[in-house]
Amino acid sequence: MDFLLASLIDGLLLGFVYGIAAMGLTLIWGVMNVINLSHGPIIALGMFGVYYIFSALGIHPYLALIAVAAGGLLLGGLIYFVAVHRVIDAPHLSTLLATFSVNMIIIGLGTAAFSASPRNVDFTLGSFEIGSITILGTRLVAAILAMFVTGGLYLFLYKSRYGRYIRAVTDNRDAAELMGVPSVRILALSFGLGTMLAAISGGLIATFFPFTILAGGSYELKSFVVSVLGGLGNPVGALLAGLILGAIEGIIPTVLPTTWVPVLEFVLFILILLFRPQGLFKTKSS
Amino acid sequence: MGMLEIRDITSGYGEVQILWGTTLNLEKGDLTSLVGANGAGKTTTMRTIMGLLKPWQGSVWFDGQDISNMSAHEKAEIGVVLVPEGRQLFTQMSIEENLEMGASPKRARPHIQRNLERVYAMFPRLKERRLQKAGTMSGGEQQMLAVARGIMAEPIVLMIDELSLGLAPVLVLDLFQTLQKLKSEGMTMMLVEQNVQMALAVSDYAYVMAHGKVELHGNSRELAKNEYVRKAYLGL
Repeated sequence: MDFLLASLIDGLLLGFVYGIAAMGLTLIWGVMNVINLSHGPIIALGMFGVYYIFSALGIHPYLALIAVAAGGLLLGGLIYFVAVHRVIDAPHLSTLLATFSVNMIIIGLGTAAFSASPRNVDFTLGSFEIGSITILGTRLVAAILAMFVTGGLYLFLYKSRYGRYIRAVTDNRDAAELMGVPSVRILALSFGLGTMLAAISGGLIATFFPFTILAGGSYELKSFVVSVLGGLGNPVGALLAGLILGAIEGIIPTVLPTTWVPVLEFVLFILILLFRPQGLFKTKSS
Repeated sequence: MGMLEIRDITSGYGEVQILWGTTLNLEKGDLTSLVGANGAGKTTTMRTIMGLLKPWQGSVWFDGQDISNMSAHEKAEIGVVLVPEGRQLFTQMSIEENLEMGASPKRARPHIQRNLERVYAMFPRLKERRLQKAGTMSGGEQQMLAVARGIMAEPIVLMIDELSLGLAPVLVLDLFQTLQKLKSEGMTMMLVEQNVQMALAVSDYAYVMAHGKVELHGNSRELAKNEYVRKAYLGL
C-alpha cells in the first residue's frame, strides 16, 4: 500500500512537469492553430541547456533554468519568423511540415554537436522520507517550480497588457489588429512562450532523468496525450491532465510491466479522441 | 483636402477583383455615409482602407499623409478606427476587457478612464453588465459594445460597418443619436449602411456604391430627393 502511494506521489510530481510541457504545445495551438512538431527537440535542447550550463560553467541547474527559459523564448520567436509566419494562413499541412522541418534541423544539428550518447546532469538533492514514503528532492523541486511557472503564466495571460493581447489575438485576430494590436508580434511572442515552456520542462526533466538529443520525442508524444486529455487550447486543462498522466505512469508499473505504460497512455488517447474530443475539462468556449 | 481620402482603389480576394477604382473623401467633422446594395463592395472598401486587405492600386490618405502601406494596427495607432461588420467582439472576454482592448493604441491609453465613463454614460446597459462575457450578450448589446470599443480607441476618424444590421428600429435610433453626439464633438465619421433611408437622414454627405465603384455622391439631403436614388434604393 505504501509502495502504491509512493508511486502515485512520484507520478504526480512528474505530472506537473508534463503539464507545463503540454501547456506549451496547447498555448501555441490555442493562439494560432499550429501544431508545433518541433516541441520534442526543444524539450531536448532545454535538457542540454541545463546540462552544459551546469557541467561547463558550474552554474546551479535551477539558475541555469532561467537562461534556458530565456533561450527558449528567443528561439521560439526565431522559429516563428523563419518557419511559421509565412505559412500561418495556409492549410494545417503547411504548418505541420514547417515545424516538422524545424524538428529535423534541430535533431540533425543536435546529433552532430552532442552525438546521440546519453547524458546525465550530475546533481542530486538527495531524498527525504515522510513515514515510509521516500520522495526524490529533485522531483519535488521540479514540481514546485512547475507550479510557479504555471502561476506566472496565468498572471501574465490574465493580468498583463501583453497577456490580454495574446487572448485577444486568440479570440479574433482581425479585431485585435483593428484595435491597434500588432498581431504578428503577438503571434511570435506566443510561439516563444510555448517553446519557453517546452524548454523549461526539458530542463527540469534533465535534473532527474538521463537523456539524449532524441529524448524529446517521447515527451512530445506525452504532451499530445496530455493536451488532448485536457482539451486542446486549454492551458489549465493541460496542467490537470499532466497530473492524470503522471499518476497513471506512477501506478501502472506497480501492477503491470513498465512496457505497458505507453500502450495504456495511447489507448487512453484514442478513447478520449473517440468519446470526448473536447477534452476531460470543459473549455471556456464550450 | 479631406481628413481621409481614398483615391482610385482597386482590391479583392485572391483572383477575384471586387473594387474597380473607388474614390471617397471624408471631410473633417462630417458624418459621411457609404450606401449600396448587398455585394456592392462596401465592406471590401472598409477592409482595404484599414489594410486588412492590401490595395492592388490606388492610395489611402489620412490628414495629408499617405497611409496606404500601413497595417491595420498602425492605422489604429494614428486614430483611424473601424468598427467592423459583424461586431467581431472578443467573445471570451468580459465587456470591460473588450473596452480596455479598445484603448490599446498608445494615444488612447492615457484617456482610458475618461473614455470608460463616457461610453458607460452613453450605454448604461454595458455598465450594468460589465463583467459579463461579451459572447453571451444579445445582438443589440453586442452592437453597442462594438461601437463603444471603437470610441475607446480615441478615434480621429471612426468608421462603422453595418451599424443597424439586425437591430430593432428603436435601438438603431438610439445608436444614431449617439453618433450625432460624437459628431458634435468634432469626430469625423463614416457610416456604412444597407439602410439607405436612415443613412441619408443622418449623414452630411453620401456615396452610393454599385459593382465596386462609386456610382453617385453628393449632399445627403439632395441625394434623398434624387429621382434615381429614390427609385433604386428607397423603393419610392
